[in-house]
Amino acid sequence: MKKIILSALVASVALVAADKTPIYKSGMLLPPQPKVIYEQQCAQCHGMDGKQTSFKGSSTVVYSPITGLNADALAKELKEYRGGIKSKDYGPLQKYGYGALMKTSLTDLSWEEIDSLSQWISNNLK
Amino acid sequence: MDHKYINSMLSQMDKDLAAKGMSRREAMKLAGISGAGMFMGATNASANEKEEIKEVKSGVKGKIVIVGGGLAGMSTARRLLNFLDNPDITVIEPEALSVSYQPGQTLVGGGIWDIDDIRVKRDDYIPDGVKIIKEKVIDFHPQINELTTAEGTVVKYDYLVLATGLHLDFERIKGLENAGRAMSAGDNSKLLKAMGDDGICSIYTAEGAAATWTQMQKFIEKAKNKKDGEKVQFVFTHPNTPVKCGGAPKKILNLANARLKEAGARGNAELSFYPNGGVMFGVPQYHDAIVGQFKREGYKWYYRHNLIEVDKEKKIATFDSKWQEKGPFDPIMRDFEVVSKHEKVRVPYDFLHVTPPQLAPREIAESDLGSAKGWVPVNKETLQHIRYDNVFAIGDVAQVPMGKTGGSVRKQYKVLVTNLIARMEGKKLPAKYAGYTVCPLITTIGTVMLAEFNWTREPTPSFPLDPTVERWMWWLMKIHLLKPMTVVGMIQTGRA
Repeated sequence: MKKIILSALVASVALVAADKTPIYKSGMLLPPQPKVIYEQQCAQCHGMDGKQTSFKGSSTVVYSPITGLNADALAKELKEYRGGIKSKDYGPLQKYGYGALMKTSLTDLSWEEIDSLSQWISNNLK
Repeated sequence: MDHKYINSMLSQMDKDLAAKGMSRREAMKLAGISGAGMFMGATNASANEKEEIKEVKSGVKGKIVIVGGGLAGMSTARRLLNFLDNPDITVIEPEALSVSYQPGQTLVGGGIWDIDDIRVKRDDYIPDGVKIIKEKVIDFHPQINELTTAEGTVVKYDYLVLATGLHLDFERIKGLENAGRAMSAGDNSKLLKAMGDDGICSIYTAEGAAATWTQMQKFIEKAKNKKDGEKVQFVFTHPNTPVKCGGAPKKILNLANARLKEAGARGNAELSFYPNGGVMFGVPQYHDAIVGQFKREGYKWYYRHNLIEVDKEKKIATFDSKWQEKGPFDPIMRDFEVVSKHEKVRVPYDFLHVTPPQLAPREIAESDLGSAKGWVPVNKETLQHIRYDNVFAIGDVAQVPMGKTGGSVRKQYKVLVTNLIARMEGKKLPAKYAGYTVCPLITTIGTVMLAEFNWTREPTPSFPLDPTVERWMWWLMKIHLLKPMTVVGMIQTGRA
């Protein structure tokens, strides 16, 4: 559902804008744009600064900030979260109870996109 | 091109013909009359007339947008020009080498052709009167007849033809995730880097085909110098998804075999084929012929094995192997249950040819135009979309059984053009695709089995000869006639 709303938003933006606005979607063999991926897939929960630790003020949902992470370690973990395309081949990582949610966010990303995203998070979220 | 083979084959051909008291020229003429005309398009006037009852131009107007400028998209564009008085045709294609001759990739992989023999530039074949947008479509809005490219260009259309092709999903194989997804043409350096330089290869991309020949030579050399009695393992795979050109995994196997024999190294090598399916070919006659050939050549084969993992360090390929067993007795059903089982099978390899899993491009799969599996659901006979009647699909991306070959496209694009114009004129769609596919299955250097068939799963030969027999004549056709037929006949004139 999130994805549908998101693509509807992206679409409406493209329709309203009179001039050409380049748009980016992950998993379509385009050169990776990590900042856009972060905005599309991660910022909703983690915030643009990576410091958000609960979802829209709900105190029952808590998680760690994602600042100051090592790019390689993060990439490895995100790839484990994403898993194979078919989970029966090799299943997704279940960690802190967020495995399924992380998988939905990451499932469309290619390995290359995950690498560039991890690098971006490591460089920009201090 | 390797002239040594052509010459040795031609002399073999002359010998065959002399036995029948014919010259080469007479034989080619006969082939032209009996059916090669169907391949060449122009030489057989009567057959052409039957196929195209009238070549009258239609006065209908409408903006036609074709997404994808490969063989299917470009030949459709060209043919539409033949039938429209006021054509308004736009092709959207970002890849400069999009019309490259993919069927030649097996020949490149086997070292018969060079990569330059199959490279065809898009910009050389854009017909006058067709507009081109060199961008990638990433959003489709079929409800409002509109699409958007990655650069943000919004394109409106009255009629849409989807000819995007498919994606090679190397990423799904554990160990090759860095390869990502790929398309056959264009820059695939990322893929080649991920495959490495130690025996893993795939002819499913143009650059990968050239690399396959490099790897193959290396391991043939290794087999040649092998003295310890161990065999060099050549492993070939076939995945659990629909693939384009289902014959290619076997063609490259046969070419490796031929090259090993040529080097005098066949005795030191073992060739094994691991297909996901339970048969060699969907058509029983061709299946039997292929199994016969596999036995004759001493290959090993293991059905129901799907490649899921590659260990590049240890050189081990892991397959998911499936089978069924007789289970416990079910007292209610009064019969034994059938239990499905599967396990991981680890196979050491020296040379591994990967046929990648293949899927529809994500932009199609996620739009309202794609089905749950991603492919574009069309009426398999008229090629019209099942929900949007101004949308048609052709080629690899269309959800048409057995349809993912250039040979299918050669039949499909005529059906599509006739039906699209009928739809523009508001008439009933007259043309029907019967599922024709052709697989010129290279069995060794110099012979080809021309497997032609359609949805009846019966052989449908174009020539009055036993289709299950391997012949040098089809090799000649594959090597010399099919590329000009495709490039000139389809892309340049829209008639073949």
